[in-house]
Amino acid sequence: MKPRALFRLGLRGLLLHKLRSTLSILGVVFGVAAVVAMSSVGEGARREALDQVGALGMDSVTLRSRRSPSSAGAGALRLRDAESLARVVPHVVATAPVREAALAAEAGGRRADAVAVGTTPDYLLAARLGIAAGRFLAPLDLTDQKRVAVLGASVAAALFPFGPATGERILLGGDWFQVVGVLEGRASARGRATAIRTRDVNRAVFVPLPALDRGSDPRPDGVDEIVLRVDDPRQVSAAAEAAKALVERTGGGAPFDVVVPREILRARERTQRIFNVVTGAIAAISLLVGGIGIMNIMLASVAERTREVGIRRALGATRRDVAAQFLAESSLLTAAGGVLGALLGMAGAGMIQRLAGWPTALSPWMLLLALLTAIAVGVGFGSYPAWLAARLAPMDALRHE
Amino acid sequence: MAALVELKSIGKAYPRGAVEITALREVSLSIAAGESVAVMGPSGSGKSTLLGILGCLDRPTRGEYLLDGKEVSSLGDVELSALRNQRIGFVFQSFHLIPQLTVAENVETPLLYGSVPEREWRDRVHACLDKVGLDHRSSHRPSELSGGEAQRAAIARALVTEPQILLADEPTGNLDSVTGEEVAEVLWALHREGRTVVVVTHNETLAARAQRVVRLRDGRIA
Repeated sequence: MKPRALFRLGLRGLLLHKLRSTLSILGVVFGVAAVVAMSSVGEGARREALDQVGALGMDSVTLRSRRSPSSAGAGALRLRDAESLARVVPHVVATAPVREAALAAEAGGRRADAVAVGTTPDYLLAARLGIAAGRFLAPLDLTDQKRVAVLGASVAAALFPFGPATGERILLGGDWFQVVGVLEGRASARGRATAIRTRDVNRAVFVPLPALDRGSDPRPDGVDEIVLRVDDPRQVSAAAEAAKALVERTGGGAPFDVVVPREILRARERTQRIFNVVTGAIAAISLLVGGIGIMNIMLASVAERTREVGIRRALGATRRDVAAQFLAESSLLTAAGGVLGALLGMAGAGMIQRLAGWPTALSPWMLLLALLTAIAVGVGFGSYPAWLAARLAPMDALRHE
Repeated sequence: MAALVELKSIGKAYPRGAVEITALREVSLSIAAGESVAVMGPSGSGKSTLLGILGCLDRPTRGEYLLDGKEVSSLGDVELSALRNQRIGFVFQSFHLIPQLTVAENVETPLLYGSVPEREWRDRVHACLDKVGLDHRSSHRPSELSGGEAQRAAIARALVTEPQILLADEPTGNLDSVTGEEVAEVLWALHREGRTVVVVTHNETLAARAQRVVRLRDGRIA
């Protein structure tokens, strides 16, 4: 029998009992939907982690002092730690201390909420920033205590929407700063609570470290963060260990975090694998349940259409033709379930993204896999009913009431 | 003239639990091409079994069956199915139309399993429906047809692959005498066109119009 004729025949069989066909595929529909939704969430999380870690760089280590109420601002990191780290830690190519404050930036009557970041020229290399216009901070800016600023892309766009920002002046926390450069925009996780805290460089204003005055700082030489970059991603763990050991010695027991994007990514991948196994198990269980539903309905269909089988056999259908007809029915049924399930799963993923704020992403391979699996379920669980139909003796089938 | 159908000492037994029921024993029958034969006999005499074997729906347990000079009782499913499709047209007592298909689709069904190119299907279907005077009913469902119409649709379906042999199992059994007569007339007209027609029936008037009557009793030709 030709595939097209077979397809038509299968479709006819399904349309014979529309409600029954619809109900019987619900198992497959929900199974596929759950798996598609879950894997979109998983894929979204994976891509987000990759993006964040990619932004930080696989070859970077960030030391961050943990501000707790009890230590009241007395952080573990100090300016001279940065100098020691640059000397002591192997493979380091850039070391940038960072001090930050949330300040409003103003210019020409416009205002933008910004994070003022006091740092050194090394930060450009350590944080892999790109310059869109002008220049980044220079060593002379620090030694001369110049009041210059480099704007993040969003800040520049907000304050100077109509012209170039470089050369203009902005008011930052009560002091005037001269804009010497603007950074390239960078896609970022917009303020969402995520496992890896990344600085939104688009909303930052970079100024020389000594120029960032935080008023009554209990420790004038304290910094919030030290960003390191090594010349070889494989050396990043060793560098992190060395940095950690040094700060532990000098920090006087104040708490601090060591953020190694490469290690975070590894940990993420392990979590991802567990998630994948769980998703796979749910897929297997729901497709098993869905498949049993399909087998049930196909058994009913074969029993009820025994006479039709006899008629078709008399008219020249081989056993194969009969089996193919019922297999076409069951696989069309589950293919339809797969398509509906995929649509429902995509809708579900969209809802999750909207309501829970989790990022979701769909890979086309996932959809294809879901559809193929659904068809395989139809063929697999339709085989036994199809075999029963095929082995009916024509004379007995014809006499069947 | 060589026989189209040649049965030699055909026997058929069915296992029914522990015992074996013998439905046919030592049946030898020869039917020439273009002949019309009525098979008669009381219930349980083996008529249906004989029809099943003649129609390649069933294999005999003993004996030889030559169809157009070729031994068929040892053929496999694919070859037997092809024979049914191309050589044999069935007409059943209760019509056996597929209820969810239209009349035209029912008539088309044998073509699904044959080798006739698809572009010829439409013409063939309508030619056959025309022949039995049912072309105007082609898009109706079997449930919308009268008994006589349903049986004529079934005859059209039997003709669509242009088989040599028509096998009719009580073709008028579910019809009143007037429509039965109409259906019988269609069958005999097909015989006059040169087809071999084998009718299994209880109906003496129907049987009387066949060239030859074969009577079965207890699985043997009486």
